[in-house]
Amino acid sequence: MDEQSLILEAQAGNSKALAELVKLYEKTIYSFAFKVCRNPEKAENTMQETFISMVKSLKQFDGKSKLSTWLYRITANHCLMEYRKRKHNYVSIDDDDALISEDSVADWANVPSFTIENSELKSVLDNAIQKLSPEYRIVFLLRDVEGLSTEETGKITDLSVPAVKSRLHRARAFLRKEISQTFKK
Amino acid sequence: MKKQQVTCKEVMHHVCESLGEDLNSPHCFAIKAHLEECSGCRDYFKSVEDTIDFYRKYNVEPTKASHLRLMNLLGLKDTE
Repeated sequence: MDEQSLILEAQAGNSKALAELVKLYEKTIYSFAFKVCRNPEKAENTMQETFISMVKSLKQFDGKSKLSTWLYRITANHCLMEYRKRKHNYVSIDDDDALISEDSVADWANVPSFTIENSELKSVLDNAIQKLSPEYRIVFLLRDVEGLSTEETGKITDLSVPAVKSRLHRARAFLRKEISQTFKK
Repeated sequence: MKKQQVTCKEVMHHVCESLGEDLNSPHCFAIKAHLEECSGCRDYFKSVEDTIDFYRKYNVEPTKASHLRLMNLLGLKDTE
């Protein structure tokens, strides 16, 4: 059964179709939630909240957007809500000139290649992205990591295309700089 | 057509903004030409691409236990 048929069946109360839909998006949503939270427990909690919302509101889903876009939106909003409950001090990335320094270009030669076993690099990646405020983090993850278009990213985050590009530009430059500085010798 | 001059800093800003985007404007042609000539900017461009690539490769999956907890929470049975 294709996704459209699964949605229609699930909307009509077919629990097998609903289970199929959950299984279809479970890994994507968990992975995205983990990438935002960088914590397995929070990722599981976010995944659960996302699918609870999906089950509650599936009948209202009109198919005008993709189901994946709808789920990413629920997940992103849940993550933002959780972050807003707690006070965090994120690094300010408003100064473009501080983000993009020509002096730091050469430092990249010391950065190792990514392998699944490279826990040092994973830790660097976790630390770098956790310094980014979730508003920037979510845009970077949706556009660059999940591979959504700039327009889709804008729809999910309620941002204009220029605002998505601006956040993306700063997030990329910030993460690149953080990784580079960590491996500077 | 008058040749546009761009600085390394301008290229770096633009590269960050435009990775994955279409680079067909006259300004982008100037940037591409600059990238061909400037190894520093090429290194920068590559390092931004590597940054994105690192985060793309860093994937995690839910455990079997968290899958079962989810299905249980939603009152759903696993399908084959």
